[in-house]
Amino acid sequence: MTILSIEGLKGGYSEVDILNGIDLVLREGQILTVAGTNGAGKSTLAKAVVGLLPRVSGSVRLAGKDITSLAPEKRAQNGIGYVPQVANVFPSLTIAENLEVVEGVQDRKARISEMFRLFPALAERKRARAGRLSGGERQQLAYARALMTRPRVVVLDEPTAALSPALVADSFARIASLASDGTSILLIEQRARQALAISNQGAIMDGGRVAMEGPAAELLNNEKAADLYLGHYST
Amino acid sequence: MTAYAELMIGGLMSGLVVGLAALAITLVFGIARFANAATGDTMTAGAYVALSVSGATGSVIVGGLVGALAGAAIGVVVYFLIFRKLAGRSSVANLLASIGVAFIIRAIVGVIFEHQQQVFQLPLVRPWRILDIRVQPSDLNLAIVAVLTLATVFLILYATPVGRRMRAVADDPGLARISGISPTRVMIALWALAGSVSAVAGVMYGIKTVVTPEMGWDMLLPAFAAAILGGIGHPVGAICAGILLGTIQEMATPFVGFTYKLAISFVVLLIVLLVRPSGLFGRNEGAR
Ligand SMILES: Nc1ncnc2c1ncn2[C@@H]1O[C@H](COP(=O)(O)OP(=O)(O)OP(=O)(O)O)[C@@H](O)[C@H]1O
Ligand SMILES: [Mg+2]
Repeated sequence: MTILSIEGLKGGYSEVDILNGIDLVLREGQILTVAGTNGAGKSTLAKAVVGLLPRVSGSVRLAGKDITSLAPEKRAQNGIGYVPQVANVFPSLTIAENLEVVEGVQDRKARISEMFRLFPALAERKRARAGRLSGGERQQLAYARALMTRPRVVVLDEPTAALSPALVADSFARIASLASDGTSILLIEQRARQALAISNQGAIMDGGRVAMEGPAAELLNNEKAADLYLGHYST
Repeated sequence: MTAYAELMIGGLMSGLVVGLAALAITLVFGIARFANAATGDTMTAGAYVALSVSGATGSVIVGGLVGALAGAAIGVVVYFLIFRKLAGRSSVANLLASIGVAFIIRAIVGVIFEHQQQVFQLPLVRPWRILDIRVQPSDLNLAIVAVLTLATVFLILYATPVGRRMRAVADDPGLARISGISPTRVMIALWALAGSVSAVAGVMYGIKTVVTPEMGWDMLLPAFAAAILGGIGHPVGAICAGILLGTIQEMATPFVGFTYKLAISFVVLLIVLLVRPSGLFGRNEGAR
C-alpha cells in the first residue's frame, strides 16, 4: 500500500521555486532513499513533506489523505515524524523534557520508558541538557523525539552526516530495523550507496527535480547513476 | 553610611520593578521574537485597574490581583487582535505594531481613568529602624510580592507542561510544531503570563511612586536596557540586570544628579556589552 505520495510538488522559501515538480511514492514499511548533490533541494523536499516550507503547490498525501495544506503540528498528529538535518533537538531542554514536550502521544510515560529502553545511552543522562550531548547522543535523542508519536512515516534528513565514521554503520542498521518494524521511511542521504543498500526504492534529485528513480538495487547497478551521482567506488 | 543604605534599599525596590518589566520583555522576545514596546503601557493599565479596584474594595491585595488579571487579559486580547495576525512577519513589523498598541492602550487608559496622577491610598506606617537604617514595611511587602511573582513565573516555565512547551518554542519554533505543539496555545499562555507580570510591575511602581498615564512608557527604556543586559531571552538574566541597573541608578543619583540617572543605566549597558556582547547571562551562540 502507498503510504506517502508526492505529486507535482513545487515550492520554495520565497518567490523562487526550489522544488520544480517532484513525483515520488513511498510504500508502507519500505525505505525510499533520496540522494543528490549539495543544494539539489533534498532538505527543501523534506520540509515540504512535514509542512515547514512556506510556499508549496502540488500535493502530498498520507495514506490517501491530502495533507498539503495542513499545519506542521497537524501533520505530526496525523503520523509524520521528522528528524531534521541540523537543529533536531531542543538544546535548552533536558533529554527527558525533549521527549515529554511532544504532543499527541498516547500513554506518554510508557512511551518514554520504551524510548529509554531503545536508546539506553539517553536513559543514563535524563537530566542533561540536550545542547550538551555529543553528536551521536543528539542523533539518538532526535530519533527518540521523532518516534514518540509512533509515526507511520518518518522523514530522516541526512541522519549520518553529523556522525563519526564509526557510528555510521550502526545508524543504517537502526534505520533498517525501524523499517522492519513497519515504519515507512523517507531517507535523505549523501552516503547514497550505503543508503540504497538498505532501501527498497531510490531517487536522485538534481536542480529541484527527480533526475533518476527506481528500485534501489537497479540504481546501485546503473552505470549512468554511478557516473553522474554515486561514484564508482564500492562500499 | 545609613543614608547610603537607604538609597540602596530604594534602588533594590526600583530594580525589582525594572527587573519584572524586563522579564516580561524577555519572555515575549524569547518566544514571539520581538521587542514588545506595549509592555510599559500594560504596566500602566495594570496599575490603574489595581488602583481603582483597591479604592473600591479597600484592599490593595485584591486590587493588585485584579490588576494582574487585567494585564493577562490585555496581553491575550492584543495577541488575538494584532500579533497573531503578524506571526511570521519581521520583528521590526511586530515592534512597530507594538508601539501602536502602546499608544492605543494609553489612550484607552486616559479615557477611562482620566489624565490626572493618582496615588494608592495606603495607611501610613512608621518605618522600622534596623541598625539606624529606616526600612518601610511596605517595601518589604512589595519585595515579597516580587519574589512570589518570580517564583510563579519560574514554576510555570520549569515545572508545568505549558512552560515546557514555551521553552521548546523559544528554542526552535519549527521543531516545536513538528513535535505536535500548537503555536496558538503557547502564545496565549505567553501573552497572559507577560501581561500579568507587566501589570504587577506597574502596580509595584504605582505603589512606590504615583500612577500616571506615562509611568509605563517612561519605564520602557530602563526595562529594555535590563532585558538586553541580562542576555535577551534569558529570564534570570533580566531579573538580575534589572536589580543591578536599579541599584546602580539610585546609588549614583547623589553624584550625577537626578537628570542623568537614566544615562547611568546606558553607560553600564554599553560597558557590559563591550565585554560580553551577548549580555550577562546570554549564551554565546549568535543571534537569538
Ligand atoms: N531557509 C532557506 N531560505 C532560502 N533559501 C534556502 C533555504 N534553505 C535552503 N535554501 C536554498 O534552497 C536550495 C536547496 O537547498 P537544500 O537545503 O534543500 O539542499 P540539499 O539538497 O538539502 O543540500 P545539502 O546536501 O547541502 O543538505 C539551495 O539553493 C539553498 O540555497
Ligand atoms: Mg540538506
